[in-house]
Amino acid sequence: MIAEIWQYLLAGIAVGAIYALIAAGFVLVYQVTGLINFAQGEFAMLGAMTAASLAGAGLPALWAAALAVLVASLVGALGYLLAIRPARKANPVILIFITLGLSVAIRGAALFVWGTNSLSLNAFSSGTSVVVFGGVLSPQTPWVIGADVLVFGALYVFLRHTPLGTAVRAAVANPPIARTFGIPLATIGFWSFVAAAAIGGLGGVVVAPITSASYDMGLTLGLAGFVAAVLGGLDSLPGALAGGFLLGIFEKVSGGLISTGWEQGVGFIILIAVLVLRPQGLLGHTVRRA
Amino acid sequence: MKEAALEVQGIGVHFGGVAALEDVSFAANAGEVLGIMGPNGAGKTTLFNVISGIQVPTNGEVVFAGTRLRGRSIARIAALGITRTFQTPVMFWGLTVRESVAVALEAREQPGTYPPSFLRCLLPSGIGWPSRRAFDLAVLARADALIAASPLASLADRPTESLSFGEERLLEMARALALEPRALLLDEPLSGLNSGEVAQVLNEVRTARERGVAVLLVEHAVEELLAVADRIVVLDHGKKIAEGTCKQVVANPLVVDAYLGDEVA
Repeated sequence: MIAEIWQYLLAGIAVGAIYALIAAGFVLVYQVTGLINFAQGEFAMLGAMTAASLAGAGLPALWAAALAVLVASLVGALGYLLAIRPARKANPVILIFITLGLSVAIRGAALFVWGTNSLSLNAFSSGTSVVVFGGVLSPQTPWVIGADVLVFGALYVFLRHTPLGTAVRAAVANPPIARTFGIPLATIGFWSFVAAAAIGGLGGVVVAPITSASYDMGLTLGLAGFVAAVLGGLDSLPGALAGGFLLGIFEKVSGGLISTGWEQGVGFIILIAVLVLRPQGLLGHTVRRA
Repeated sequence: MKEAALEVQGIGVHFGGVAALEDVSFAANAGEVLGIMGPNGAGKTTLFNVISGIQVPTNGEVVFAGTRLRGRSIARIAALGITRTFQTPVMFWGLTVRESVAVALEAREQPGTYPPSFLRCLLPSGIGWPSRRAFDLAVLARADALIAASPLASLADRPTESLSFGEERLLEMARALALEPRALLLDEPLSGLNSGEVAQVLNEVRTARERGVAVLLVEHAVEELLAVADRIVVLDHGKKIAEGTCKQVVANPLVVDAYLGDEVA
């Protein structure tokens, strides 16, 4: 029994590492612009589909991965400039609907380009599964966790130790006053959206060998990332990391112990519980604003 | 006669049928401390909101160094060199004291240049190519020097959310001075400070004046205001009821009646 639970935990960590990446994109955009970007999952889909099709065409895996992240970033940049920026002063509810529209548009374009067939991508490292204290992880999981370390580490260094990162934190803390300091909020908002798209794209690239890639994978990933972000706290990057792993573990443990049918549902039960009991999330702040 | 840096011309602000300000005009010169006095609700903060672009006036115009401010955004007005503090200090929660001052210095050093220097800004402070490193180190050194010269010296690494009200006020002042403004609007900068801190802030106000800054100072601590102001404008119920030197204003029966009472007399 303990061995089984350990295996469920490991499976949860593997899935949670992916959710954490998607949640990071939600949090980054929300912190800087106050926007909940429901197109976040589609950037993961774009990353996965682009990487799978480029690798399928014979491009080396590293190049395929890099180009996939670039494509996701470019689509993110275009999406922001064409759909969100023109309406940036609109009511937040309208902006949420715009991101939903953007999500449908990206998914539709992917259906047009790639069709309904799933594409597969080889695991980045060949070899057998990784054994951890008797439990088994897929050979791709260390790559997903590596992507988490890369993304969260880079965001930490950027926000804490670079001049622009300090300016971003000032803009997050108090947008109107940051504006009077000459901190360009619109520019920072744009780049946060592009960075979130890139992070989503990277998430898609590392998940593709596990789940394969299809035009409609973004919806599920996006919803899970959103639940993870709310669970951890929409304004907290450490929260996104914790929320991602917790959600993955909840899903896999409940799926294993009760029934696999619970895996999909448990996330939404958690979402409702968090919104009722602790709306700011586990690590979110009740931000003091003047 | 000194050059008028900031001219307030016939400003009126109406909220529905209520006039928060009515036909207020005065000029503040470069290198002058202009005290703004008046009871609560006189319109002092509304006046600052108009000058800094937060409140669009119903009538009138503010002119700064020959530039009309009507229609300009808060950021553009700030970029012209008008900096203000608030009655309740406004902080960047999550930043340390040093970072709060450094972010102001950084913005001051490269106003509006974040997009071109975006990639340079991504490099952590202290690494990168020599010009970037020198710039970052210079900004941090200046932030440290400004903090060292203020009563915040021992608090440089404290996060802003751990500061007391008085310390927040001092940090807001240091941050405002780091922007090297041409006009400085101080909204009750002495409230919540102890006597040592009051003396320090008054010194900073005098230093700003010597550097040619036009300082507008709203303050209820009348003695301190009279000690530092060159001239005073008195507002009551949104109207200017007096303007002149400190001596003239405290002798004005209208001012005594509306605000001072027996306080100074």
